[in-house]
Formats: sequence, C-alpha cells, structure tokens
Amino acid sequence: MQGRSVAWFRKTQHTKAWQQTPPTSTQQSDHITLSSVHLRRGQHDVLKGLNLHWHEKKVGLIGNNGSGKSSLIRLLNGLLLPDQGQVEVFGYNTQQQPEVLPSLVGFIFQNPDHQLIFPTVAEELAFGCQQLGDSPHTAREKALNLLSQYSMQDWANRPVSELSEGQKQKVCILAILIMEPKLLVLDEPFSALDLPTRLQLMALLEQSDCHLLLISHDFSVYEQFDRLIWLDAGQIRADGQPADVIEAYRNAVTQERA
Amino acid sequence: MISLYLEQQSWLHRLPTSAKLIALALSSVALLTVASPWIMLAALLGAILIYLSLAPQGWRHLSAARPLIPFLLAILVIHYFTDTLVEGCVSLGRLLTLFLIANLVTLTTRMNDMINTLQPCFKPLQLFGIQPRSLALAIALMIRFAPVLAKVLESLDEAWRARGGGKQKWRLLVPLIIQGITLSEHVADALAARGGSAGLNKRI
Repeated sequence: MQGRSVAWFRKTQHTKAWQQTPPTSTQQSDHITLSSVHLRRGQHDVLKGLNLHWHEKKVGLIGNNGSGKSSLIRLLNGLLLPDQGQVEVFGYNTQQQPEVLPSLVGFIFQNPDHQLIFPTVAEELAFGCQQLGDSPHTAREKALNLLSQYSMQDWANRPVSELSEGQKQKVCILAILIMEPKLLVLDEPFSALDLPTRLQLMALLEQSDCHLLLISHDFSVYEQFDRLIWLDAGQIRADGQPADVIEAYRNAVTQERA
Repeated sequence: MISLYLEQQSWLHRLPTSAKLIALALSSVALLTVASPWIMLAALLGAILIYLSLAPQGWRHLSAARPLIPFLLAILVIHYFTDTLVEGCVSLGRLLTLFLIANLVTLTTRMNDMINTLQPCFKPLQLFGIQPRSLALAIALMIRFAPVLAKVLESLDEAWRARGGGKQKWRLLVPLIIQGITLSEHVADALAARGGSAGLNKRI
C-alpha cells in the first residue's frame, strides 16, 4: 500500500447531503452524542439509558459478545433508531435527519461478502459515487483514479469473488472512503484476517482523515487510538485511555474466570 | 452457475450492451418456436461456436453448464416417458442453448453497463411505484450473489460430509435457505448504509 492520503480526492468533492442540510444542533458539529439512549431488540434491553459523548478522531469500542457494541454503532448511521433518547452525529439528529447519514457515516461490516454488491472492483467503487449522484462515467473515472492512487490499477476489472478475504476487505474500505464520509464505523473488520493484512488495512485507515470508531477483539489495533470505551450489558463500564481500559477489561475477565 | 465478467477484448465485448440484450431476447423467443431437433442442434452448435471465438479463456466457460446436466437428464427422462425422445432432445437443446447464450451476455458485459442499459427500459414501471434503479440493482445483486450462495452450499456440504453425512443432501436445503435469508438481511443493511437502492442523489 502506498503511503498516500486520500486528500487528493477531496479536491474534486461535491456538496453532499450533510453539507447541504444544516445540522439540528449547531453547537457541537464535531461531536457525536448519545443522550439517555435506550434500545430494545426483541425481549432484550440492549442499551440502557446510555450517555456518551466524543469528539476524538480515533475511538475504539470493546466488550463481550452481546454487550451492545454492534447495536450502538448501528444507531450512528440510522440502521437502528433508539426507543428512547437522542443520537446526534456531528450535530445531525439521526431520527430527524436520516437522509444525511449514508453520506456522513461510512460503515464497514465484519464480512466483506455481505457488502460487496458488484462483481468487479471498479464497479464496486463506482457504485458509491453513483449513490451520491455522479454519472456512471464520472463514477468510473473516480474509481479508477482512486485505484491508481493506491497503485491498484490492475485491480479494476478483477472479480471480487476471486479476491482473498483481506483483499475484499480492502476493497470494502476503499468503497466507503470514495464516498468521503466524515465518520467511519468499523464492526470487527479484521476478525478473519492475518496479522500482515490487519496492519496493512490499519495503515490504509490511518491515511484517511475521517473520524474512526472501531470494534475489534484484537486490542493491539488500539495502541494509537485516542480513546477506548468498554461496553458491558448495554452500559459503559470504562472509558478513557486505551491502555487503562484494556487493563481494566483484562483484570475483570481474569477475576470472573477465577 | 452464471459466469461473471470475463476480462478481455473480444468482438462480443465490443458489441453494445443493448444489442446483446436484444439479441438474447430475440433468440429466446425464436428458440421457443423451434420444433425441429436439427435446427435446435444447429442453434446449440452456433452458441458453442461463439464461445470458441472467445479464445481459451472464453471456451473454458462452457463448463458453466455442467451443474445443469442432472436437470437436463431429468427433463429428458420425463419426456421419454410422457412424450417422445425427440421432443425431449429439443427441450434439452433449447434450455442448454438459452443458458449458454445468456451466460455469454454476463461473460462479456460489465454489470454497470448492463444496469445502465436496463434502467431506462424499466422506466414505465415507475407508474406502478417501482423504481427502475432498484430493479436494475436487484438484477446486479442476483448475478453477484450466485457464486456467494454456491460457496455457502459448498461450506454446508463440507460440514455435512465432515460429520459423516449420508447421501440425503436435500437436507442441506433448509440451512441453505436460512443462511440465504440471513445473508440477504446483511446485504440489505450494507446497501442501506450506502444510501439504499434508490441512492442519495444529493451531490450538486
């Protein structure tokens, strides 16, 4: 992977939904805020009056399976709406302004096969631009430009079904970055990948200038993060510097097993 | 299994997508009216000749028809007992030729080109509240996820055999359907996260 930024792309950027629509709250446009959020799925209370507020660039989220991590991040792009409380992403209320969310919040899922829609790499990247209103020709040009910026020109017509898991996840990340989101949310994107591929993808993410919210069970990826949040049974158990939160989490797990 | 785009430059790649789709539609209608086994055989040989014109990378994709063989044989047997063998051969030839011609279109046409060509054709459906882009996208998803579902079936089959599963492979049908539904939910989430099937169209 080339050590280049995607800033070149911003030179050609267009006005997007979230740039055209004024935020609900004008005071905290660089902040993400969850206020007294309660979420129920089926018979279970997944999030219980959650209050959370951050503005840091790189934030991690940890917790046991079923602690509510995936539900929490789905609240940020409107895939889920809270039963009670408010979610504001950069000043936009997810219930009142859901139309801005797809261009504001990029989402990378755990399994790349669930999010690659088109059979070839260039078509997959171009799809994001077409979603934002570009013509098919312009969208393809942008996709090819992005691939060439990362020395991946020869990937353009490669069938996604023939890529390795790491390569597919790389395409997923580029397919979201081409939409220029302000916040990138990643739901365990590295769980099936080997160490070199993880490092390569982390380097790719670090080149982007958007805010990151990452869920991962591999704590080493949080080393360079600004903040780590530990979610436990739908509530915040610890929140702070990654090293401190990881230590607290490990101690708690050790004590529970003892 | 439907083959995906074959990256090369051939005379068929250079043909406009609309011409290929019209040819596919016309040949489908024409083949339905054919009753002579000799004409059907000629049509089948014609389709095979087109594959041969695509060089080795192209004619390798003739094997895409292999999974159809059990179904084609079943059709032949049913015709043998209910009709005549000649009519069975005509039906078999018709299905095989249609499959090969349709596969040629997906082999030599980019998905985006296909969507952009089909989208205007679906415009009249707007009268019934159906978005042309959504329909064109549904076709893209169908073609894209055919190999993914095949992979799911392969994994289920491996798990079945690893646990000493017998020949009753029809039992894999239920888990395949369940996994297919789960997969469709995940894909719907991913699509919604990127603006949904209708797109955002919010750039100026």
